[in-house]
Amino acid sequence: MKQIGRIIATEKVPTTVDEFYFWTNKELIIRPFDVVKVQHIQESITFGVVEEISHLTDTSSSLAGFISSDFGDVTSREYTQRIGMNYVRAKVVGNSKGIYTPALDGYSVSLATEDDVKEALGLNDIQNPLPCGYIEMYEKPDNIMIPVHFNSQFLIGPEGAHLNISGISGLAAKTSYAMFLLKAIQTMALKTDESVAFVVMNVKGRDLLAIDEPNDSLPADDRKIYRDLGLDTNPFKYVKYYYPFSEDMTSSTYGRRNDIESQMELGKAFSYKYIFEDDKDSLDLLFSNVDDPNQTIESIVNAIVTGQGGFNGITNWNDLLKEVQAHTVAQSGKEKEITVLSWRKFFRLFRKTLDKTTIFQNSIAKQKKETRLREAIKNIRKNDVCVIDIAKLDEETQGFVFGDVMRAVYDLKLGQMELEEAEIPSKIVIFIDELNKYASKDVPKSSPVLRQLLDITERGRSLGIILFSAEQFKNDIHDRVKGNCATHAYGRTNAIEISKPDYQYIPAVYKSMLTRLKHGEYIVQNPVFRSLLNIKFPKPIYKQFKHG
Amino acid sequence: MSRILELLEDATNGSCYRSNKYCADEDLSVPAIGYEESRNLTILKDRYGETDTNLKAPKNLTDIAKNLSTEKPLFSYFLDGSRRTYKVDDIELNKRIFPVMAGQIGVACCERKSPATFRCKEIETNLVIALPSEANPQTRSGAQFFNNLKDSINKIDRINRTGTQFSKILEYSSKIPNSREDQESKKYEHLAIAMIQDEMIDCEKKIVSTLTAKNILNEDNYLLKDGSLQYKPMRTGEYKELTKIKNNYRRVIGVSKLFNPELFRDRNNKSNAAAIANLPLYSRTPAFMFQHDLANQGHLGDYKFSIWYVRIRDQSKTDGPFAGVLKIEKILITDRENEEGLESDLVDIITANIINERNPVCYGKDSRWANHLYPVYLTEQYLKSRYLSDSHFLNLF
Repeated sequence: MKQIGRIIATEKVPTTVDEFYFWTNKELIIRPFDVVKVQHIQESITFGVVEEISHLTDTSSSLAGFISSDFGDVTSREYTQRIGMNYVRAKVVGNSKGIYTPALDGYSVSLATEDDVKEALGLNDIQNPLPCGYIEMYEKPDNIMIPVHFNSQFLIGPEGAHLNISGISGLAAKTSYAMFLLKAIQTMALKTDESVAFVVMNVKGRDLLAIDEPNDSLPADDRKIYRDLGLDTNPFKYVKYYYPFSEDMTSSTYGRRNDIESQMELGKAFSYKYIFEDDKDSLDLLFSNVDDPNQTIESIVNAIVTGQGGFNGITNWNDLLKEVQAHTVAQSGKEKEITVLSWRKFFRLFRKTLDKTTIFQNSIAKQKKETRLREAIKNIRKNDVCVIDIAKLDEETQGFVFGDVMRAVYDLKLGQMELEEAEIPSKIVIFIDELNKYASKDVPKSSPVLRQLLDITERGRSLGIILFSAEQFKNDIHDRVKGNCATHAYGRTNAIEISKPDYQYIPAVYKSMLTRLKHGEYIVQNPVFRSLLNIKFPKPIYKQFKHG
Repeated sequence: MSRILELLEDATNGSCYRSNKYCADEDLSVPAIGYEESRNLTILKDRYGETDTNLKAPKNLTDIAKNLSTEKPLFSYFLDGSRRTYKVDDIELNKRIFPVMAGQIGVACCERKSPATFRCKEIETNLVIALPSEANPQTRSGAQFFNNLKDSINKIDRINRTGTQFSKILEYSSKIPNSREDQESKKYEHLAIAMIQDEMIDCEKKIVSTLTAKNILNEDNYLLKDGSLQYKPMRTGEYKELTKIKNNYRRVIGVSKLFNPELFRDRNNKSNAAAIANLPLYSRTPAFMFQHDLANQGHLGDYKFSIWYVRIRDQSKTDGPFAGVLKIEKILITDRENEEGLESDLVDIITANIINERNPVCYGKDSRWANHLYPVYLTEQYLKSRYLSDSHFLNLF
């Protein structure tokens, strides 16, 4: 036990039930989030987490500093350094005997051992442990590394559910962290026979298009960390990839043709299509981000889905487009409730989508590994990982596919797909990056994708649908979506973002830490932990594409 | 008996008035010229304080100081003593009224191992009470009576509980002053405070003696003592005979922030205060040799000083003619020193080192910042931090 300082309690700054202050040598390196322990009454130990460190000297004013250099001589030397110390503010996180009276002046403060840290942060008796990273504390030679575990029931239900990850693109490694957690969940599920399946949306390049292939460039240190955390060093298992259909296979995906072909040969890749007959019910999702104050778009979609007003008997997308076009011509005495202008708007939007995307097709060829996503979701079984590639689709279609997948998962879990209860995984984790596209504060309230997201975050915990979401700026996200997440991971972000109300409760020094977190470093909040934790996690275990 | 005053009443057959308790120190908040300084020294006209007898004008030490600034400093130890006095009550003894005085005495010596490492080397803090000699109801030796009284006081629960102990009860003269002048200058309060002051000085000497005994003061590690080395004649105390302990002061330099410039004499024994006021920056005066007033204080023995002055801050940037000027003293030890004064090179080195101690400053914390040396200031602050708070101390009574 290395003693590093003593408690200071003064008239102006007394120690309290919540926090205490201590001095340390000015050369001692200690960091925010480090745990310290303090001797306390009745031979108990109070644990604290460092929040703020200041350096202070007996200089009464800046002017004294100037005068001390011979009135501004920058080369002046001095025999004695000004007396100074580091002044540390720590938040109380617990006491070994449950004594919460304030720490006493002059009592010794020391570095904690691994067991102390676990006790202090509530990491020692976690039920249903699920690795979520590790903590590194102190400087060499006192440094310690402690694996951190979530209680899986607080991450993927039933006690608490949903995870939100925020941070700047590229610097925060949001996708990597989500995938690290998914890997941990899959490993745990395989060990414990828990029934979990995963639906992962690939929104960027080839990021997630080879998650069942090993990362050959993974450093040995990171492999060791995986083992220390109780995880194997194999990539994901039972992975299926779903690529958006296109004739040449590549115009709608960033995946390489030969990669996709070999995946298809191995029976783990499919291209997905939307067929009018079966998928027209999802048409509303295509117009999620369209402002529709008079609900005319909704009325049109409703007319198409229910086959009213000339939409009866349509069997493919081309016929639909023609029929819609027919409505755009001004005709007196017909369809008064929906104006021609609205039809024209709908036609414009719909035609644009059909022009841009190739997933809306008239038929499915199963022998060519083609499928509908609904079918894919219907066939998802425990431990399966469905990677759905939407990276190259336009924004509207991305929303459409994501909304449709969520709807399919929802229907599956609600038992509307005529499956045996045992066949349906008891939990399905959906991971979506760039959540701001679907659930930002600017998304129209009527957006069906937003409604679907709200449904999942609010009711998903009990149904076993868990949302892992990520976005650059948490502040942009709809309050009800992020409010329902039990776990929050904050990665590196910028100064503007931390000035927003979402970060109000985070101590100032942690806030500024958020602006300089390293790659692979997160500040995590989970109901099981007594305070925010600054955790790290190893590099991805699956194949990485350097250039997307 | 639960309180000191009750015990005093009982032991001295007196009666306490329970009058207002207060801190008796005059706060020295403004830099002042120490006109009260002892005039017990006389300049030796026929001798020089240093070996360079040709030095008549101020000597500029800027270059020497600059060259030395990269080397290990000469001073490694810093000594400061202070006391805080309190009037705790009035006591009636044989129909006369005397003040009951008390004090906290502290002497600290700090060591500078490196620019960043400043640690306490020795510290002594004592609590004392000063009572009139009249307080002793017996005719036997006062020392024994007061010592017993001290032991009884230390046994009081209230004192034990706080973990404090009184180290001594000092006895001040209760002789009725004869002349009117005496009445002014020898007020009982002042007599008592003087006793407490003497006790502190004794404590200082003791610490210097300890440091010498441990052999840690040597030619590379000097001790810088805050204040003058001109110890006043003392009637009591373990170290009252300075001649016997002057060998302890071989590596000790006294640096005074406050001094009476009137006492700076030229060789014709004329005051030359203006020479100090106009001393250029980083220059020192020639060193002069002084001797104790042998005629009146012969019992102290024969000891001589070299005294000189140095300006460490630019006059235009300080707020008085003597702000930024320090008075430096060294006791002359060897026969040669007593004859010829200090080696001029040593005087230069000592002075240059003191010039190099000028930064950092305690500007804003202490109004005497221009005359303060930072390590001394730190020692003083350390010492003060070890005192009991005034209200704590007064409530012991």
